[in-house]
Amino acid sequence: MTTSLTPVLQVSDYSLAYRAPRGKIPVINNIDLTIARGEILGLVGESGSGKSSMASAIMRHLPGNAEENAGSIRLGTTDLRAQNERAMSDIRGRRMSMVFQDPATSLNPTLRLGEQLAEVLIRHQGMTTAQAWREGEARLAQVGLKTPAEMMRRLPHEVSGGEKQRVVIATAFACNPELIIFDEPTTALDVITARQILDLFAELQAQTGVASLYISHDLALLSQTANRVAVLQKGTVVEQEETVRLFRAPNHSYTKALIAAAPDPDKRLVQPLEESGTPLVSVQDLSVKFGRKSWVDSLLRRDFQPVVGNQAITLDLQPGEVLGIVGESGSGKSTLAKAMTGLNRFDGLIEFDGKPVRGLSDMDRGYRRDVQIIFQHPDASLNPRQRISEILGRPVRLYGGSGNPRERIKSMLERVRLPAHYIDRFPHELSGGEKQRIAIARAFLSNPRLVICDEITSALDVSVQASVIDLLMELHRDTGAAYVFITHDINLVRQIAHRIAVMYRGDLVEISDAERITDPDRADYTRALLAAVTPPAFTHSL
Amino acid sequence: MSASYILKRVALTFYTLFVVSVLVFGITQILPADAAVMMLGENATPEALEALRQQMGLNDPVWLQYLHWAGGVIRWDFGISMRTGQPVGPALFSALGTSLTLAVLALALMLVLAVPMGIIAAVRRGKLADLAVGFLSYVGVSLPEFVTATLAVLLIADFWGWLPPAGYIPLTQDFVGGIERLILPVTVVSVMMIAHVSRMVRSELVDVMHTDYVRAARLKGLHPRRVLFRHGLRNALLPTITIVALDVGYLLGGVIVVEEIFSIPGIGRSLMSAIQARDLPVIQAGVMIMAATYSIVNFAADLMYAWLDKRIQYD
Repeated sequence: MTTSLTPVLQVSDYSLAYRAPRGKIPVINNIDLTIARGEILGLVGESGSGKSSMASAIMRHLPGNAEENAGSIRLGTTDLRAQNERAMSDIRGRRMSMVFQDPATSLNPTLRLGEQLAEVLIRHQGMTTAQAWREGEARLAQVGLKTPAEMMRRLPHEVSGGEKQRVVIATAFACNPELIIFDEPTTALDVITARQILDLFAELQAQTGVASLYISHDLALLSQTANRVAVLQKGTVVEQEETVRLFRAPNHSYTKALIAAAPDPDKRLVQPLEESGTPLVSVQDLSVKFGRKSWVDSLLRRDFQPVVGNQAITLDLQPGEVLGIVGESGSGKSTLAKAMTGLNRFDGLIEFDGKPVRGLSDMDRGYRRDVQIIFQHPDASLNPRQRISEILGRPVRLYGGSGNPRERIKSMLERVRLPAHYIDRFPHELSGGEKQRIAIARAFLSNPRLVICDEITSALDVSVQASVIDLLMELHRDTGAAYVFITHDINLVRQIAHRIAVMYRGDLVEISDAERITDPDRADYTRALLAAVTPPAFTHSL
Repeated sequence: MSASYILKRVALTFYTLFVVSVLVFGITQILPADAAVMMLGENATPEALEALRQQMGLNDPVWLQYLHWAGGVIRWDFGISMRTGQPVGPALFSALGTSLTLAVLALALMLVLAVPMGIIAAVRRGKLADLAVGFLSYVGVSLPEFVTATLAVLLIADFWGWLPPAGYIPLTQDFVGGIERLILPVTVVSVMMIAHVSRMVRSELVDVMHTDYVRAARLKGLHPRRVLFRHGLRNALLPTITIVALDVGYLLGGVIVVEEIFSIPGIGRSLMSAIQARDLPVIQAGVMIMAATYSIVNFAADLMYAWLDKRIQYD
């Protein structure tokens, strides 16, 4: 690693606040950061910690209500805060660039990928269109795209998420910048794709020696990629240390808490399952197909190919069992969950407690009481115009039960570790984790025997996720309900599931005991999936 | 865009026209007008009336009458006007030509003014220019064209005498005189559409300028003009196409009022006088022609949308 005397990026004593009607909201407090050439600085923090604001501040792309202190931000010898917008637009994309979280939204949907790459070369390198397209092809080849010429002509929706992110990365590297900011570049991608993008990042980083600011919420990931890590809590860097030392001996309590909150597959949180003869649920040959044959197809005598959501899934679930379902997006995890709750049409048979369910009409009130679902985003699944009392009052009214409804809601709130006086609040007055607890309370109010959890911790921060999981496991012990736990977090599911079902493109690849998921005789896809998972930070041989 | 998509849309357009034809025919049947009385006058003898009814097929069952009429329409034969005794088709199509001149010019004026107004308002959001455009468009939306038309005639034509108050000269006959007489009606018809569309362009563009991909384009250091036009406007105009196509419906209505006030011999005016005279074949044909225009414009808008946004695959 080459280290020159002037750092590539130097942020000193920098503070940022946003003006709001009710006064100033501090976002970043007296931050010092330096990144040398060839160095990767990891910036870790939970949502709202100010990590994305830091990226905007460096790129000098702040909203109108931003208020900064006198601190400085320097790129090499250039004082970025002294540049006007015109000078900045000359620096952006040329001397420093950015890779964004979600390639699906950071690429313009109506422009060809080639144009979105070539425009940077035309702007900053003074190339002609023809030159830029030729150079663009070479750049796309460099980021491992097999058919660069064809890729250039495609529109974003015609390529996969991983391919899109490769194009974004090629664009960021196009002008050989001094600094690249990576803002959670793999968070929106599937496990295996994310692993490939990380490998690409490491390769390009080594090749070019660019200074990188790598923003992430994932400590484990940074422990593998960054040279140094700065831990950001509520706008303050509480600890900044060489990666090896930070993970070996974290100093600050917040760093310790973050490390401890990451799921560790070796620490099992679920109690062993008591064997029982008859399964609670038995899914037999369940298929979900989307779309239907149109009259034009019939007219032209064309074969109609429905989109397959699930292909003949067969699985059993014992009473009280926690079944994890993993797989990349589009593998049919949620489709299965929706079919089991009657939100999708399906072919095949679900036997619940011995009773056959072949479709929506078989799902009577008893079935609905016994089978509950919790969704990923509490913001979307809780009605914003209803108070908690109304949201939780519905299952109480529908499924009866003894006692005063209001008292029952209050005691349920306490069971999910929320203060009873939340009963008169609206969802927006609660934090993300608290809202998810309300969604959990709603599911458990009907005393269900099967609860389907569809990515319920994906939108939450690590520390919040850990407490929600604790709650779920406690409810599992108390109620004995069976869980179907859908997630893409394989470390997490290995902690809490008895068995894990692996899905791929609508098919069920295999079901394995959670403890035996790492066995060498697992299916190829399962092994590929597990190989792509980043192990928790403290298990690395640092 | 697949052939199957186009085929579906063509079929849907024909289906719409079929439904419209049934409605039009049904409504004119309910109208309190006896065609035979209309033609022979109040004092005709019952025998003469009955003979005429026989001859015109008015005693046939309704469905048979519909088939006769619809069959004629398909063969481009819209019947004979009860008032003039002339075939309806040629007169109505020449009137349609006049109306289309007016409508196309109004549409062009609207696009030339509304799109830049929307862009300026979006770019200068919250500033004076935005407020000015916002104010103007609220005024425009709240003024029906019979008010703007009357005001325009009163002030510009009558009081100041800058332009002729009414009348129509085909452009092929006297270009300057024709344009002079078209300025006021075209402006009046386009006012409300300008107001409407400029608001639409503004709000769409403001939304698009806040998307991740526009932010990414800025952070690539692209020239602000390229960010605005290539990345922003292109995406913001997509929904506007739909709105403009829907506005054509409004345009057809507005044209009727404006033609009446400015004495322009267009299809709207023909329709008005036909309604007053209970001239059923002209009413039926006029409404059919307007509905067909509207359907075709929306069909064209759908094709354009699918062509501009390649993600759209409706099949």
